[in-house]
Amino acid sequence: MRSTHLLILIWILIAPHVVFGGAGAAQAESISFVESLIERATDGQEVRVPAGVYEGNLVIRKPIVLDGSDGAVFDALGKGIVIEVLAAGVTIRGCVIRGSGSDVTGEPAGIRVVAPNTIIESNTIQDALFGIDLRESPDSIIRGNTISGKDLDPGRRGDGIRLWWSHYCVIENNTVRGSRDMVFWYSEGLIIRRNTVIDSRYGLHFMYSHDTVLEENDLLSNSVGVYLMYSNSITLRGNRMRNNRGASGYGIGLKDCDDITITGNALLANRVGVYLDNSPSSIDSTGIFESNMIAFNEIGLLATPNTHDNVFTRNAFVENEEPAATHGRGRLVSNSFALDGVGNYWSDYAGFDLDGDGIGDVVYEPQSLFGAMLAREPNLRLFVHSPAQQAIEFTARALPELRPQSTLIDPSPLVSAPKIELAIADAKLGGARMGIFGAILLSIAAACIAAMGIERGLPQTRTGTRS
Amino acid sequence: MSAITSSPTRPIRTASAAPSFLGGIARFARREFRDAIASKWFLLYTLAFTTLAVGVSFLSLSGVGSHGFAGFGRTAAGLLNLIMLVVPLMALTAGAGSIAGERERGTLLYLLAQPVSRMQVLLGKYFGLAAALLCSLCVGFGISGGVLAWRAGGVGIGSYAMLIGFTALLAIAMLSVGVLISVCSRRSSVATGIALFAWLTLVFVSDLGLMASSLLFKLRVQEIFGLAAVNPLQSFKMAVIVNLNASLDVLGPVGSYASQTLGDGLPWVLGASLAAWTAVPLALAVVIFVRRSSV
Repeated sequence: MRSTHLLILIWILIAPHVVFGGAGAAQAESISFVESLIERATDGQEVRVPAGVYEGNLVIRKPIVLDGSDGAVFDALGKGIVIEVLAAGVTIRGCVIRGSGSDVTGEPAGIRVVAPNTIIESNTIQDALFGIDLRESPDSIIRGNTISGKDLDPGRRGDGIRLWWSHYCVIENNTVRGSRDMVFWYSEGLIIRRNTVIDSRYGLHFMYSHDTVLEENDLLSNSVGVYLMYSNSITLRGNRMRNNRGASGYGIGLKDCDDITITGNALLANRVGVYLDNSPSSIDSTGIFESNMIAFNEIGLLATPNTHDNVFTRNAFVENEEPAATHGRGRLVSNSFALDGVGNYWSDYAGFDLDGDGIGDVVYEPQSLFGAMLAREPNLRLFVHSPAQQAIEFTARALPELRPQSTLIDPSPLVSAPKIELAIADAKLGGARMGIFGAILLSIAAACIAAMGIERGLPQTRTGTRS
Repeated sequence: MSAITSSPTRPIRTASAAPSFLGGIARFARREFRDAIASKWFLLYTLAFTTLAVGVSFLSLSGVGSHGFAGFGRTAAGLLNLIMLVVPLMALTAGAGSIAGERERGTLLYLLAQPVSRMQVLLGKYFGLAAALLCSLCVGFGISGGVLAWRAGGVGIGSYAMLIGFTALLAIAMLSVGVLISVCSRRSSVATGIALFAWLTLVFVSDLGLMASSLLFKLRVQEIFGLAAVNPLQSFKMAVIVNLNASLDVLGPVGSYASQTLGDGLPWVLGASLAAWTAVPLALAVVIFVRRSSV
């Protein structure tokens, strides 16, 4: 009996190595096989690459459809670019692409494209410094790819997806994980929707890229969710930025951007929900923030003192540690916190609504003494979440002469949170594990009391003397 | 009335059955635990802590929070404030009453007449009280854990467990300080008064003082962090936040400095501060108590 158990154990230990080792050894092939397949194909023809691992760097010089969905794996073994596209009209579909170089000077990528009209869809890119790198490749589509970066410090990583001077591209349903940015340089008229970026630096990063719509993207646990810089006429609609909390972590950051419209986004548990740095920068431009849910951030809205001409209406500012703050000293009064007599919902609003029209009869003016102290001395942030902070706020409430100027004035605050469709699945219900954990704690207490309370030691002197 | 007559069925051990060092401690600990859980303060504190913890868990998960957006972080932020107020108060006053109370009632003489050393008596009382405090915390966290399970699902069990762990460490550290106060006090009321003063200092005065000094003297981040980490309450808070967020960035420049310089060692440094607050006052208390020739 015992010997058969031993044999089974040995078999279990050895079997996986045998299977994987055998398969890998038998199917690793040179990239020249794929090159010859492409050589034989005519323009526009589909090249179905049979299953196998193809080692080396592939360069595509004519318009073909490279289909790896039978199980083709392209591995550059840590040297250079895995697949480089030089011809217009190439499609790359269903491939597993891995092992680009990691030397940042050559910017090696999983897929680099330097030609227009490329379609890159349903590929899996792993262990690549840059994931997909489009250079002067307008009218391209990047769809349904899964990209994970190299396991490096965030500063040494490459971008998951990068567009450089590539107008009118569609980027949708991609997932990027553990990368630097999904970044757009000098690219206009893009459509960016339903992408997910997790554990990266900037989720979506715009540099000098105008006229773009960002819809329903999910940006989770990055340093910054969406950072728009020097980019105008951008609409953010229905995006979700959660838990983006790097040292300068923002859900949305805007730097010198004109004509931005931000509606129906959820900004939850970020370090800062919305950060405005001199945006809009032009005199005649307006930034519009409507119906966003800004909740559970350390700071809901943070803006540099020179920020002006933004309009906030029907947003819900819920339970942010500070609802709004100025980056440095000053106030946010050159922005409007109401449009046509409709302001925003602030969960710390303490006013009333006698006429029952849903608009509070008292203006909302947040006056936090601790917040004012933070603006003066940022080091004091060490003391948030402590009773001392509460004591300071209490003092300011009790002694009005200590109250600082309010950072902003909402003339017509909403008394109840507006309905905002967030398209976020509710947290899993049925916390059986947490319930069990609670029960365990209770039974520890009960067991302690039972075990210690049993009469074994000295008599109870204290109760004795009391009687 | 003497203790012996109040419990006639319980035989007193004679010198012939002198227990081992640890056995003696365990025996006194058991007695102290029994006394503690039968006392009103234990019931009151347990009730207060449980009610507040359940209330905070419940409120922080109501409204939008019930969608699980905030996860456990928001509940923890609420619980943090509560724990920093209530737990040191519980532990300090419990510790302060331990020796001074017995001394005032005259029962300390009786305890010291047992065939055990003074050190065993003190350590026994300390461990008994510590066990009682931890039981009290278990009840509070257990029931609010039930609330979290009901309202929020199984989010952040690891974080919750770490929160409990650090709270336990904070409790026994504050108990050490309380026992030290107690050893030095003749009367129970004096000990409790000093304990309340210590509580006020640790919870409010030191933080407000550090805030004022960092404004007045323009302290550098490393100085602020060093001074803050000396306070067991701030150490506790930072340790819990590191555990929740994997860094102290939410605490501004000082927090970022701490995370960057100490990296993975940060929770250990903060834990060491709490451990020092446990060990040093307890050791001092033992030395003072053992050296005392009188009761």
